[in-house]
Amino acid sequence: MTDEQIEKAYVHWLYQAAGMGSRGFLRGLEQFGTAQIIYDTARKERLEAKVSARYQDKARRLQALAKSSEIKGILEEYERILSRGISFVTVKEASYPRKLAQIGDAPYGLYYAGRLPVDEGRSIAVIGARNCTEYGRYMAKEFGTVLAQAGVQIISGMARGIDGIGQRAALYAGGYSLGVLGCGVDVCYPRENREVYEQLLVKGGVCSEYPPGMEPRAVLFPPRNRIISGLCDGVLVIEAKGRSGTLITVDMALEQGREVYAVPGRATDALSEGCNRLIRQGAQLVMSPEELLEDLQAGLTGYMDQSVISRQPILHLSGVRDKVFKILDFQPQSMERLQEAYKKAYGDSIAVPKLCYELLQLYAEGYAGQADGKYYFKKE
Amino acid sequence: MTDRKFYSRYVGGELLISIVYDIKRVVIPILVQFTNHFTVIHHEDHGIFLEDTIWFQEEGGRILFSTITSGTVCGISSCLVQVEVDLSKGLPCFQMVGLLSSEVREARERVRVALKNSGITLPPMCINVNLSPADLRKEGTMLDLPVAVGILTCLGRLSKESTQRTVLLGELGLNGEIKPVRGVLPIVAKAKESGMRRCILPCDNAMEGAVVGDIEIIGVASVTETVAYLQGLEKGEEGLIEPKQIDVRSLWKERDGDRTPDFADISGQETVKRAAEVAAAGFHHLLMIGPPGSGKTMLAKRIPSILPPLSLQESLEVSTVYSVSGLLRSSGEVLITRRPFLNPHHTITSQALAGGGRVPVPGIISLSHRGVLFLDELPEFRRETLDILRQPLEDRLIQIARSSGVYTFPADFMLVGAMNPCPCGHYPDMARCRCAPYEVRRYLGRVSGPILDRIDICVEVEALRFRDMIEKPAGESSAQIRERVLAARKMQSDRFAGTKLRFNTDMGVADVEKYCRLEEKERNYMERMFSVMRLSARGYHRILKVARTIADLEGSTGIREEHLAEAICYRYNGGQDI
Repeated sequence: MTDEQIEKAYVHWLYQAAGMGSRGFLRGLEQFGTAQIIYDTARKERLEAKVSARYQDKARRLQALAKSSEIKGILEEYERILSRGISFVTVKEASYPRKLAQIGDAPYGLYYAGRLPVDEGRSIAVIGARNCTEYGRYMAKEFGTVLAQAGVQIISGMARGIDGIGQRAALYAGGYSLGVLGCGVDVCYPRENREVYEQLLVKGGVCSEYPPGMEPRAVLFPPRNRIISGLCDGVLVIEAKGRSGTLITVDMALEQGREVYAVPGRATDALSEGCNRLIRQGAQLVMSPEELLEDLQAGLTGYMDQSVISRQPILHLSGVRDKVFKILDFQPQSMERLQEAYKKAYGDSIAVPKLCYELLQLYAEGYAGQADGKYYFKKE
Repeated sequence: MTDRKFYSRYVGGELLISIVYDIKRVVIPILVQFTNHFTVIHHEDHGIFLEDTIWFQEEGGRILFSTITSGTVCGISSCLVQVEVDLSKGLPCFQMVGLLSSEVREARERVRVALKNSGITLPPMCINVNLSPADLRKEGTMLDLPVAVGILTCLGRLSKESTQRTVLLGELGLNGEIKPVRGVLPIVAKAKESGMRRCILPCDNAMEGAVVGDIEIIGVASVTETVAYLQGLEKGEEGLIEPKQIDVRSLWKERDGDRTPDFADISGQETVKRAAEVAAAGFHHLLMIGPPGSGKTMLAKRIPSILPPLSLQESLEVSTVYSVSGLLRSSGEVLITRRPFLNPHHTITSQALAGGGRVPVPGIISLSHRGVLFLDELPEFRRETLDILRQPLEDRLIQIARSSGVYTFPADFMLVGAMNPCPCGHYPDMARCRCAPYEVRRYLGRVSGPILDRIDICVEVEALRFRDMIEKPAGESSAQIRERVLAARKMQSDRFAGTKLRFNTDMGVADVEKYCRLEEKERNYMERMFSVMRLSARGYHRILKVARTIADLEGSTGIREEHLAEAICYRYNGGQDI
């Protein structure tokens, strides 16, 4: 093992021993130079005297742990995580993402599985509400797909809702995506995103500043948002409520000098309130991935598939089916509401069997989607 | 010396026997020895000799034994019971045997006191009562009166002929009055079937018994009245109590000021009303999903109003269930003439739903036989409680196994379920719904798949907007909808004439193949939809059944694409499409 690797083993030990919520404490320890020195100092019980009064308890704990950890054990533990396919990179190394290294409080060490984004490529964070609407779902999918096809790396938190949908779309489109987790990289949270997680390990990557095995806790998530924004060139907010965790990421992005893009929504939609407010405050309004790509001027060479730029759906609809299609919305609607909308739009009412028949035809042809139960929405 | 009559009573521990000649009354003391017989003091003057203990036998023949016919309910069915009474020498006692439940065993106390208070003292003899068949468990208080009459017959107060081919039922009060009992309807029906001529019932139950018809129903209010009536029969005075009669058809006539909930009260909600109409036409089960306050309960309560009226046969079935449950009386009706609507709370236990007890009594599902069982907040019901419904939904009856046997109750109801789409009730309106996706899934998952699978029609109910409430014109009345339902039912009864089937929902897989044959075009359509909608084989058959009903409502002999489309739209589909 090289000296560099031995030092990394000590850093890994330190990360594990310090426990969660120790960012300030770890920063304070940087004065020692290397993690090995910290370990030695702690083993000799001199750490306590050298840290500020705030961290006395933590220093004492670290000393106790240092006394019980042998050097051999530390090295073995580090090798164990490496053997599980988890890599560890410190800010001092060249392979550490350059964009992230530039931010104020970049994590000293970063665990990852799969691969990290390339510095030369463009990266966009696709973020938004966990409980999204059908509209948000559609937009996240659309942006994820087109951006990934254009070679943009999609960074996100692999959360429920927008995050996961955007990432999944990017992976399906054959692009790269990175999931920044609020737990150890070997922990899949939330569990329903298992499929995305597995795909990320193969086609993209997952990273975290927390040591492997760390269980997700609420306090761990806000700090990881700075990594999401730190890793990318711009942040795209698809859907967010007025007071949303997504906005924390946006604040971080602004602090770090990243561009903020937002997808507009209706003024009355609670889930678009955050986005609309961001636009008012000066965020870039984007209505389609093409607009965003134009703004990014990203890899319009190379990956970009010209066909994706003009993607007007070709509809072969006529008669009643066309009329029914026109009253569909991205927001799922029940048959009751559709029946009303039909009457309002065309003056004559449509009988339930006829409406069912046309809706099913639209569904079968892929023009309409069905949300839980019998709510229908437009799909293009 | 045939004009002597003997009476006995205890006075201060000493048994006295009174011998009554025509007008003269002589009291003689009798020494009681606690062996198996009485020793009577020699009293030659009065024709009593030493150790003359068999004084009733003096009249000749074995009149100390009598048999009276009564009945009991066992589950939902009823059977006739022979009440055998024997008086014999021995220690004075009163024993009842024949697999009795405690309320039947307690009859002896009621009988003893009721007789005493009616002026009849029991002789100091060993009274044995056997209720035959002895291996059948006897339930209920209807056996008080036959026991009392049996004893009186033994005592010679009543002739055996007066109670021939007569069924007696009634509970005794301590003052000798006769109180109403449960299960009268099935027992009277059984009596008629067994060729009985007359039923003597508590007068409060007389109307209930009278609906059976072709059997004489006598309502009595007290022991004295019963004795007088039976003694009257001996003397040939037939009409002492007028037999009850009732014109059953008059019960169906709508009573004045009778306002049942009507669909006209509901504005808007056209799709749900349509679904309810289809459900009623084919007797399909219905599930309504919608936010709180959208009128799911209101809709459900109106479903009986569009179902066809109960036929006499159905009414008797329903009334029988209510009669054995003792609910017929409390409903104040002679016969249940309207379709039942039951709305149990979600905290209901499995036993209350299915029927429970050591000897089970009908549960809620049997009380909603031929009617509507409305389960509001379906996911809030305990899973094991709902799983009880699996057999009734499939077989339309429920079997309850107990150590005493397997009891079968009818349970041919229309299940109407209502539920919120998620714990907060606003899903899929994501702007208002505060539930995480897994909470929504878990909420829907609380209703077990097999139950949902048996519900043919599933429909969304939208929250009512203020505009809907004030602007929308009143909807169609229940009577108008019912007419269409009746027409659709007519088509079904014509189609299924000569088979066991009654409604489209009753069709099995083979019947579906036979009666729901699709044309080439429709078959292709179904084939396509089968893969698009990811249907299961069971789902496919259920869709065909509902499509058949929709076609019936339209008066169409063939099933067309639109009918199939609507039926597919009614299929429950919990999965989400991304």
